[in-house]
Amino acid sequence: MYRNGPKSAPDPSSNPLDDICPVCKSNRYLNPSLQFLINPECYHKMCSTCVDRIFTSGPSSCPVPHCGRTLRKKGFRKAFFTDLHVEREVDIRKRVSEVFNRRQDEFETLLDWNNYLEEVEALVFDLVEGSAADKARAEEKLKEYRDAYREEIEGNKRVGKEEVEGERRRERAERDGARARRLAVAREAEEEKADVEKGKRDLLERLANSDGDASAITRQAQKVILKKSSARRNITEEASESNGSANSGLTIRGLKKRVTPVEEKPYDPFGGVDLTPARYTVQESYDNEWLGNAKKDMRHMAGGYSLQEYYARTMFEAFSGLGVFIEEEVADRGQKSDPLVATAAAAEASKGEINLGHKMELDDVF
Amino acid sequence: MANSPLLVPGSTDNLKATTSKSISKSKLSSAPPSSKGATPEASTKASNAHAPVQDMAEQMNEEEKHKYVKADFEILYCPGKKLGEGTYANVYLGHLVTSPSTLVAIKKIKIQAAYTEGLAPDAIRELKHLQELSHPNIISLLSVFSSKDQNLNLVLEYLPLGDLEMLIKDTEGVRYGAADIKAWMGMLGRGVWWCHENFVLHRDIKPNNLLIAADGEVKLADFGLARSFSDPYRIMTSNVITRWYRPPELLFGAKHYSGAVDIWSVGLVFAELIIRTPYIAGDTEVHQISLICQAIGTPSEDVWPGVSKLPEYTVPEPATPVRGKDHYLATFGTAGHEGVDVLMGMLVLDPRKRITAREILEHSWWSSDPKPTKNEDLPRKGGGGAKIGEDLKRRPGVLEDERGAKVARKLDFGGMK
Repeated sequence: MYRNGPKSAPDPSSNPLDDICPVCKSNRYLNPSLQFLINPECYHKMCSTCVDRIFTSGPSSCPVPHCGRTLRKKGFRKAFFTDLHVEREVDIRKRVSEVFNRRQDEFETLLDWNNYLEEVEALVFDLVEGSAADKARAEEKLKEYRDAYREEIEGNKRVGKEEVEGERRRERAERDGARARRLAVAREAEEEKADVEKGKRDLLERLANSDGDASAITRQAQKVILKKSSARRNITEEASESNGSANSGLTIRGLKKRVTPVEEKPYDPFGGVDLTPARYTVQESYDNEWLGNAKKDMRHMAGGYSLQEYYARTMFEAFSGLGVFIEEEVADRGQKSDPLVATAAAAEASKGEINLGHKMELDDVF
Repeated sequence: MANSPLLVPGSTDNLKATTSKSISKSKLSSAPPSSKGATPEASTKASNAHAPVQDMAEQMNEEEKHKYVKADFEILYCPGKKLGEGTYANVYLGHLVTSPSTLVAIKKIKIQAAYTEGLAPDAIRELKHLQELSHPNIISLLSVFSSKDQNLNLVLEYLPLGDLEMLIKDTEGVRYGAADIKAWMGMLGRGVWWCHENFVLHRDIKPNNLLIAADGEVKLADFGLARSFSDPYRIMTSNVITRWYRPPELLFGAKHYSGAVDIWSVGLVFAELIIRTPYIAGDTEVHQISLICQAIGTPSEDVWPGVSKLPEYTVPEPATPVRGKDHYLATFGTAGHEGVDVLMGMLVLDPRKRITAREILEHSWWSSDPKPTKNEDLPRKGGGGAKIGEDLKRRPGVLEDERGAKVARKLDFGGMK
């Protein structure tokens, strides 16, 4: 995508018409300072001289034949893109994104977010490419949305601004840090160089002035220089470490915003469901001739067969046929999509006989 | 209309089509020889009638079938689209036609040679019980349909994070503590409790069958051995539950048992979670009994009245006395005093004295320290599924790795001024 047009590169798409003002036909060849302006009302381009000539005295209609839109001088600006279609689309996108500025965090699922994006994209397409009717409809939608969600739009705008601001601050801090580091390194190098020079000078002087062993003096001097440089290295390392810890608060990327912790509820081992039968109570034991034998039978008892379980099941089965409460069932219908059935009635509804909507009924095969 | 008394809301178009076809069919059958000299219109009708007519059940099945696709994920999921293969079913990854990001597991029941007439019993058990149980800690059955050749397909929710066995076995990669175990036991306890409250015996509880959902929730799966509570005098088979998790009453051949059999398995899962190796792992049933005698104590008439009347009662000599609490504290001390109380309650030899699922959840262990870990903080094994889940959750344009610096930022037209 060209930003400032294929000015220097001889491109087959470069049109000689690009350099001619469509209104006064003046040419860039004759007038190198020629500058084109557009007005986002109609995106017809003309040179700045024409704009001055036509619109200085107040609003006037566009000089391009068959356009006739009323334009004001204030509205004219330089086009950012050479291709005015792109310019127009970008303007429209700017306008739409100021209104449709929802953020992904506001959506429950990725799918919802993508659907929203697609909807916005369809709107933009209507505005850019659509027929007059499409455009009018899209404009209407845009306006409706703006009126409906004024507050949220404002809120998101503020958040977005803060984000941009934060990003800019972070970048600036990073840039400053980098510059400081560069300067420090340069200064280091210079100091080191100066030190080495000085050492050499010292060495020469000592060699000239004293009458000791020349080689011994040289060795000693070298040692001194080495020690100094290593000491300096240590210092810089320390400095950089301390720098790192100080800057670390600024350079971490992609931090999530902290959410204030919600007051924790005590752990409920039952997960918030109470299955105690509401319409009857199961007794400890029931006297029944048929059950008497089972109670006495060692194989039943030693195997752990639980008559309590049998009582509970028979009672449930006996009452589930009676416990049909159409009104409650109708009221529960709305909540059925929720897997965590909270109310006792809903719990009962989900228990066995009354099936969830999408599940099929099957006969008992055993 | 007499031909099709079934009325399904929303499919009236189909209904009209079938009724018109069936009407033309009946016309045809009433006067077959005269159709030779019929008008062109009538002959087209007749040819229509020869096309296969689907009955209502077939139509509903088609409708259900076309809601899901077996995912074509060779690129995304390197091993291919098959998630697993079992003895009686293959499991495929699929998704909703309407939303490719809603993944499901499609369990396609294999045709078994042994059951030429009708379905394999394990498929029916699974279907029968899963469709009745709806609870966060039990895998949910979303739909059932049959594909070509009358293959039965169960559409189950997709649980991408593996099972508890993977976590227990991966002693290097996964570390967890008492709070995590408590959270898992809570979820397992709720699942079993829900089964028992709805009069279903699971009969195959083991870490392998405890699957983990994307949010960390543990779900009870594989109802291939489940059955509902039996009536008195009605015998049940004692040849259920994987051997290591099988309770003594089943090993002794009891034909009348209760939810206590599941509780024993839950207890052994609990023990396994703590020591990270199967607690009582016998090679044969006799070996299993002798290991139980060593680990917990020999079942005798004193601790378990009537046990010697069970059909296959045999215990090794000499008898071991039932272990006291300090024995458990030595091995399972990390669970804390109250945790060990719960464990001992689950591993009581006499099924009548064993703690019930409801009593487990009513125990004071849940309110004591440490508090069970929240689902999102539970340790998990980083698998392919987990990685993909993370990828889906990430915001577009925000990348956590160094790639972020090289990728173009999202075009922000609003910020351009």
